[in-house]
Amino acid sequence: MTESATTPVDGSAASDGVTTGSRSGDAATEVLAVDVRDVSQRFHAGRPNEVHALDHIDLTAEPGEFITLIGPSGCGKSTLLRIIAALVDPTDGEVSVHGKTADQARIDQDYGMAFQKAGLFDWRTVAKNIELPLELMGWSKPDRTAKAREMLELVRLDEFVEHYPAELSGGMQQRVAIARSLAFDPSLLLMDEPFGALDEMTREHMQDQLLRIWTETETTIVFVTHSVPEAVYLSTRVVVMSPRPGRIAAEIPIDLGARSAETRDDPAFFDAVTEVRRALRAVEG
Amino acid sequence: MSRVLRSPAAAPVLAGIGILVVWELLLRVFTAENFILPRPSAIVGALVDNWSEVFAAARVTGFVIVSGLIAGVVVGVVAAAVVTLFRTANEAITPLAVALNAVPIIALAPIFNNWFGLTSPRSNQMIVVVLVFFPVFINTSRGLTQVERSQIELMESYAASRWEILRHVRIPNALPFFFTALKLSTSLAVIAAIVAEYFGGRQDALGPFITASAGLARYDDAWAAVVAGSFIGGVLYALASVGERIAMPVRSRGGRS
Repeated sequence: MTESATTPVDGSAASDGVTTGSRSGDAATEVLAVDVRDVSQRFHAGRPNEVHALDHIDLTAEPGEFITLIGPSGCGKSTLLRIIAALVDPTDGEVSVHGKTADQARIDQDYGMAFQKAGLFDWRTVAKNIELPLELMGWSKPDRTAKAREMLELVRLDEFVEHYPAELSGGMQQRVAIARSLAFDPSLLLMDEPFGALDEMTREHMQDQLLRIWTETETTIVFVTHSVPEAVYLSTRVVVMSPRPGRIAAEIPIDLGARSAETRDDPAFFDAVTEVRRALRAVEG
Repeated sequence: MSRVLRSPAAAPVLAGIGILVVWELLLRVFTAENFILPRPSAIVGALVDNWSEVFAAARVTGFVIVSGLIAGVVVGVVAAAVVTLFRTANEAITPLAVALNAVPIIALAPIFNNWFGLTSPRSNQMIVVVLVFFPVFINTSRGLTQVERSQIELMESYAASRWEILRHVRIPNALPFFFTALKLSTSLAVIAAIVAEYFGGRQDALGPFITASAGLARYDDAWAAVVAGSFIGGVLYALASVGERIAMPVRSRGGRS
């Protein structure tokens, strides 16, 4: 039962979490960024509408990894992300983030989060939106202003400091949301389909920006997506999940080196996409 | 001059003046009976002739309106905050309030007279309070609770307290809902006060002045009192709009794309 959670569909050896794409040279000595052990989740347990969302999930992320969770609707990938964020308590199992309990990590603000909806506050300027988490953490005003500006430079929106979200395009709003999630230098970034609502051009542009930020900030990223090319392009490891109940069906390490526009035309890229597609087809069939 | 014409108030003001002019001219041409519809000039004349009496009555009714409005808004907002912070209170109170909202409050005016005294303004005030309470409570609690789920999750991911979520997310989110209800309440309060006064309360208020004038076939006097009531409603509406602009300068600018 538990074995199936880590058995890869394509028959190759399961990834141990250390991939060539990862920047952590000596991963064994470091504390895991994310450690999900035997987590199960049932909603409305014991009632007729019981949902078995996750079944014995084991997942680890080394510091500096970029992991994407992919799977059909209802496979529990967003739920898993929320369990790592301690926004949802798992029915069974344990989660630790940087060696702490998930809830302690939430209280210590060890992770930043971004959602499919940018979720900016209409009544705050772009800069003030980014400052909100810093305000809650008690940063002084000059520090907050400086940090917001730095973050806006990172997502290349420094001209829009005083603008309101309604004056920005969807892609720009999403960049502000990412800047906000990075504002307090979290060592872990949890992203739930952040580019899901964007058009293809904006999406590819955002992917490149995210990879640049990931490289510059050395964060660990756990990223939920529906898109196979997106998962392959972004991550060092793709985790394929199966639905009802959600299980990990395969973990596919991706080794494409530094990404660029050419990567999207690289045969190795297409091979990886095919591999992920096969794994997905196996769980859907 | 051209700047005055281009201000947003220009079109409705000009339209209003136009309607008054047409009204005046039509009645002069067709010489309708005064008791059907007095000419605007006759109403203005009645207002000038009865100025001290109408002014005094407007002050009595104005006090009922403003005090009732303030009390109704305060009670409505406090109740909305309570149901937002305590889920059990929400489940108990909100459906009840929505159901009670269907009660024609104005119809209770004679009953309130029985409770609070036939000649006391208290019964009129209470009608205004109850009538204002419902839209303010229902709208404000909706604004406080109908927050995008990801925004709440975001705040929880910052380990924000319930109070911080209320202050940074729920209250700003509720402001447009609250001001819509407040602006609606200003005219409701005027209607409620004057109609309640038809049934009881102080006899030197606008309501009794209207019924007495109409009873004596002095319709231009009755209209003069109606104009006074409208004026109070207009001023309160304008104040609510100013408050809205101060509280949410960006979103009330109307320039949101």
